[in-house]
Amino acid sequence: MMIESSPSSLGAKVVLAASSDENHPPENIIDGNTKTFWMSTGMFPQEFVIRFAEPTTIAAVTVDSYNVKHLKIEKNMSQNASQFEPVTEKEFEYTEGHLQSNAISLNGSSATHLRFIITSGYDHFVSVHRVSVKN
Amino acid sequence: MVKLRARCLLVGDAAVGKSALSHIFYSDGTLFQKNYSMTTGVELLMKCVNIPETNDSVELYIIDSAGKETLVEACEKMWGKPSLLCLVFDLTSEQSFANCSRWMERVRARCQGLQVPGVLVGNKSDLSARREVQASVAKEWAQSQGLEYHETSAKEMENCDAPLLTLARAFHSLYQERRETIQNLNPG
Repeated sequence: MMIESSPSSLGAKVVLAASSDENHPPENIIDGNTKTFWMSTGMFPQEFVIRFAEPTTIAAVTVDSYNVKHLKIEKNMSQNASQFEPVTEKEFEYTEGHLQSNAISLNGSSATHLRFIITSGYDHFVSVHRVSVKN
Repeated sequence: MVKLRARCLLVGDAAVGKSALSHIFYSDGTLFQKNYSMTTGVELLMKCVNIPETNDSVELYIIDSAGKETLVEACEKMWGKPSLLCLVFDLTSEQSFANCSRWMERVRARCQGLQVPGVLVGNKSDLSARREVQASVAKEWAQSQGLEYHETSAKEMENCDAPLLTLARAFHSLYQERRETIQNLNPG
């Protein structure tokens, strides 16, 4: 069985997020807790970037969110959060009253940064509660 | 502190004063365009509105879209998904008010069921002798459409801030409502 972990336990950080509500900061995405969340503050696209402490092989990520419609994932192997290449994209189903939970295969990609781009939502605002990583 | 961002669609018939209003919004009430020049595509202006008694603000990305019938279809493609609506008519033109229903239909088609707060603005309130649309009639129609009604004079720069403040407040309330919903969600 693969181990699923919160990126922060692997020394990862969120180094960029397109929106900010100081009560719901982007760090909430990687703390492993679905009770805490990051919330977008209007318009699309929205994005956030997770940086790993070292190049990391990733089999899959699980994204717990609300009202996200379409998500693209990009990666790089650089020290900087730039020059990303596309990895995958997925259309999420709408859920009412409970979180969306989507496992997305990254096929063992190796990455130092993962960039999550939310290109559309089911509402003006979306939230991301947890991103967990399977190595 | 929260900084919200909203895509605000500014529509209505040609020559009702949409661009005049948007330039006043943009210049904080210092600039009224005296010469009419028709907007033939879309113009984008950004205006930041502070929400009173909070540290929060809303950045309005105002999309001033051509009102002339023959240009509308091309412009609609650039509307994107609006967060807010500012529908303007000319108080001295009954026709521009009657056409508001058609504008609402167009905008609704773009919103795909999304709740989009909006205002109805009767402009040119300075031309009182030529008024063709009574405030009570406009207000009643606005209410039936879920819009808040304001009257402005871009020329006299009267009341021009009010519609924007209403829009910013509505978006801010929507954000707070949604945040509360999300806080009370169950895990998937």
